[in-house]
Amino acid sequence: MTLTTQAPPRRGQHRPPAAARRRANPWPYLLIAPAVAGGIFLLLYPLLKAALISFQHFRMGELIRGGAELVGFDNYRELLAKEEFWQVVLRTFVWTAVNVVLIVVLGTGIGLMLARLGKRARLLLMSALALAWATPVIAATTIFQWLFQSELGIVNWLLGIQGFAWFADPVAMFAVLVILVVWQSIPFVALTLYAGLTTIPNELYESARIDGGTGWQIFWKVTFPILRPLFALITSLEIIWVFKCFPQIWVLSQGGPDGATTTLPVYAFKIARVLHRYDMGSAVAMLTVVILAFALITNLRRMLKQEAAA
Amino acid sequence: MKHRFLALAAVFALTACGSTPDPAPSAATGGSPSAQAPAKLVVWIMDGSVTKELLGSFEKEYEAAHAGIDLDIQIQAWDGIGERVTAALASTDAPDVIEVGNTQVAQYSASGGVKDLTDKTADLQGSDWLPGLAQPGQIDGKQYGIPWYAANRVVVYNKDLWGDTAIPKTRDEWVAATEKLNKGGNQGIYLTGQTWYALAGFIWDEGGDFAVQQGGKWVGALDSPQALAGLDFYKKLQALGKGPKDADEANPPQHEVFAQGKVAQIIGVPGIAARVLEVEPGMKDKIGFFTIPGKTADKPGAVFTGGSDLIIPEASKNHDAAYEVVKALAGEKFQTELAKAMSFVPNRTSLAGVLSGDEGTAAMAAGAANGRATPNTPNWAAVEATTVIKQYMTAVLTGGDPAAEAKKVSQSITDTLNSGS
Amino acid sequence: MRRVALNTAAAVTFVVMIFPVYWMVITAFKPTKDIQAETPSLFPLSPTLQHFETAMGAEGFWRFWANSLLVTAGAVLLALIVALLAAFAVSRMRWRGKGPFIVAVFAAQMAPWEALLVPMFIIARDTDLLDSLLMLTGVYFMITLPFTIVTLRGFLQAIPADLEEAALVDGCTRAVAFRRIVFPLLAPGLMATSLFGFITAWNEFAFVNVLIIKDQANRTLPVWLSSFRDVFGTDWGATMAAATMFALPALVLFLFLQRRVGAGMTAGAVKG
Repeated sequence: MTLTTQAPPRRGQHRPPAAARRRANPWPYLLIAPAVAGGIFLLLYPLLKAALISFQHFRMGELIRGGAELVGFDNYRELLAKEEFWQVVLRTFVWTAVNVVLIVVLGTGIGLMLARLGKRARLLLMSALALAWATPVIAATTIFQWLFQSELGIVNWLLGIQGFAWFADPVAMFAVLVILVVWQSIPFVALTLYAGLTTIPNELYESARIDGGTGWQIFWKVTFPILRPLFALITSLEIIWVFKCFPQIWVLSQGGPDGATTTLPVYAFKIARVLHRYDMGSAVAMLTVVILAFALITNLRRMLKQEAAA
Repeated sequence: MKHRFLALAAVFALTACGSTPDPAPSAATGGSPSAQAPAKLVVWIMDGSVTKELLGSFEKEYEAAHAGIDLDIQIQAWDGIGERVTAALASTDAPDVIEVGNTQVAQYSASGGVKDLTDKTADLQGSDWLPGLAQPGQIDGKQYGIPWYAANRVVVYNKDLWGDTAIPKTRDEWVAATEKLNKGGNQGIYLTGQTWYALAGFIWDEGGDFAVQQGGKWVGALDSPQALAGLDFYKKLQALGKGPKDADEANPPQHEVFAQGKVAQIIGVPGIAARVLEVEPGMKDKIGFFTIPGKTADKPGAVFTGGSDLIIPEASKNHDAAYEVVKALAGEKFQTELAKAMSFVPNRTSLAGVLSGDEGTAAMAAGAANGRATPNTPNWAAVEATTVIKQYMTAVLTGGDPAAEAKKVSQSITDTLNSGS
Repeated sequence: MRRVALNTAAAVTFVVMIFPVYWMVITAFKPTKDIQAETPSLFPLSPTLQHFETAMGAEGFWRFWANSLLVTAGAVLLALIVALLAAFAVSRMRWRGKGPFIVAVFAAQMAPWEALLVPMFIIARDTDLLDSLLMLTGVYFMITLPFTIVTLRGFLQAIPADLEEAALVDGCTRAVAFRRIVFPLLAPGLMATSLFGFITAWNEFAFVNVLIIKDQANRTLPVWLSSFRDVFGTDWGATMAAATMFALPALVLFLFLQRRVGAGMTAGAVKG
């Protein structure tokens, strides 16, 4: 649907309103105050508590009775010494890369397609996308579980194969989860990009076409540069979302078979809420944030630079 | 709205008495009659444990007999129940009575959030309890969970498809009969690849187990020759039908598959017959039951005793009144009604007589004689939750090397059981 | 030729995107016996409303609807207002610390909410906010806030500041200029952003599961949606019927926004 693009930075030509130039203007700070307050009480404070838990001996007993003891870096040491942890980290990167590439490429393709369709066909396709988006995760997951069932599943029926056990094979299970997550994520990307595309003035395309550009060239020379900030935003959001994706995986595979679909959030869940080792689960979550931040550091830097320049 | 005010009043009452949660041993508060009669008692019952009608009549009778008590029986959904119970135990104003599965009760008891009811066992005639429910409720000699009801699995069969084949008394006869039934469009047995409760029985029959205690440490034992033999039999049986190898009996629900009329047998608790009839009323009088056959005719197959215990959270504000509810729910009158309505085994062996009238429960009672429980350690619940056993079964059934897979899963079970608390 | 290829691609996309949803809806109308039929049928042969009756007959159904609407609408509106203020400061004013603030907002989207479950529970318990819809609203507000700020900032930046300045020159105050000039242009952005927040808050299960314990009347719809499962398995018919009803509000909101936003956006958005 409709997220407009972030306009590319307009160096020099951007002239801030007069009021903003005065020094020590309290207004901006007053305006962000509610957001900052919310962030401190509802995010930072629990986050610090979670960080504290990761340095404690905090299991089910401590949750119920209280009185957790500090244990320094014990949880982290134990975690980092596990070979499994590093496998999970690597797998999470593969999982994220595969999904994000598919989501962005297919989502872009569908977004471009939307722009070229007739009005009626476009509305129809957009409604289909919205339907997929609005389908609750638990329902979507149940349906996929069912579509890929080995005996009564409709996928095997359509493909004409007898009893192939999708959920028993590590690669097939991984693929089913990718299909599910891509299916759920495409609508946001496609609709957002379509909204962005509608903001590109038609003249730009026309002049490019007169210059004899093919569709492919026009995309790379006109569309992409203009929408670059939007692409950057979408890609980073998808990286975050896919990286942190959890309920789908847990419901369908519990991280199996043989750990083939255990990503960091699944791993953290297993440790924290199945084994009731909240302490080490918190440690995994803290490391997840650090890893994610590193993965997106270029993007964060770019944002900072952009602001400084604006 | 009324409830909201009551809750608010309760909160004030709490602050008045000092709001720090007090983990002092409950024995101190045990005998003292509470000054103010509690207005409302919250009881958590799992979805599907008891029919609405039975709960309704219990509530009515109980409130009539206990003036000033308002029972609020809340049916709990299965999704997320583990976290919900944990949160309830950790809260400052918990529900007063909670039903928990007998494989789960140990982990809650070990956490320190459950009231010790050891001194009530005599009052509840605990000498007579089913061991499969009483033992998991016990830690270091203290009784936290009060046995509520049990059920074990039997073979449920379709009389139309079964015809005049004799009811098997041994495994060999069972396989032979199933082979015969697995013809045409019909399935001899619908056994999904991850029905691990059934596997448990086969393993126990061979003399194996999921895990054994060795020098104070639990060790996964699915790689023992006995356990492997159990799985081998499971594989043989599973192949005599079209049960999906990568799913458990709940997805899709096996009673819905059975109701299609093309499946000769399923393995389930007798209560499942009622579910079949909900889907296909035409199967009335066509459902038969027999005890899971053992290796020899003189002994039925070992079965997993599933069921529930009742616990009272430390954080409940009405320990005494809550105990009265537990006593009523675990008492003879309600137990008899429950067993009849739900086809369950009552919590005390002396009450087993109520089961004799019905084909399904009779078959179950015969099997119950050889009932067993999962390894008795607080960490067992975690083994179940990680579904490693199910994944192991699927791996072997779809062609994995049994010995290698068994070694892996045993290691994983060992790790989980010794992960500390 | 190209038209054909385009339309084929569109048709394939349409089918792939809609099929799982279609399957959900028709399953909701199939009698339980047909759901597990050996050969699946692509439409309900003997449609029934039985599953909808089961779903709507569940205890507390209407209470859960009311709670969900209250919590979701509360969280989304609060997030919109707070985010709008912040986004305005970020896109229209110059101040020290703006860069770090933006980065912090972006980073807040990485928050490991799953891991905050236990701390949130402890905070709620220690402040007597267990069983309270207020706490739940607060959590959902915070989950959606960072995204709302980021996207609203994008929308605001796309509206040329010159427009406001012209109004200021004409003697309007800043607030009036904002209300008269920027707000109408921003309306589509506000609506679009709210859809995302709505879907997120509407679906949330993990927090309501541990924050609402004893006062079950304060539960929300996702709890209801996952309640058609017991020891015998999931009642797929009822789950699909419930899921269909559950998805409706988001869909209605989308169609409503689609109509409003479609026109407003092309007119108002980005000209420079």
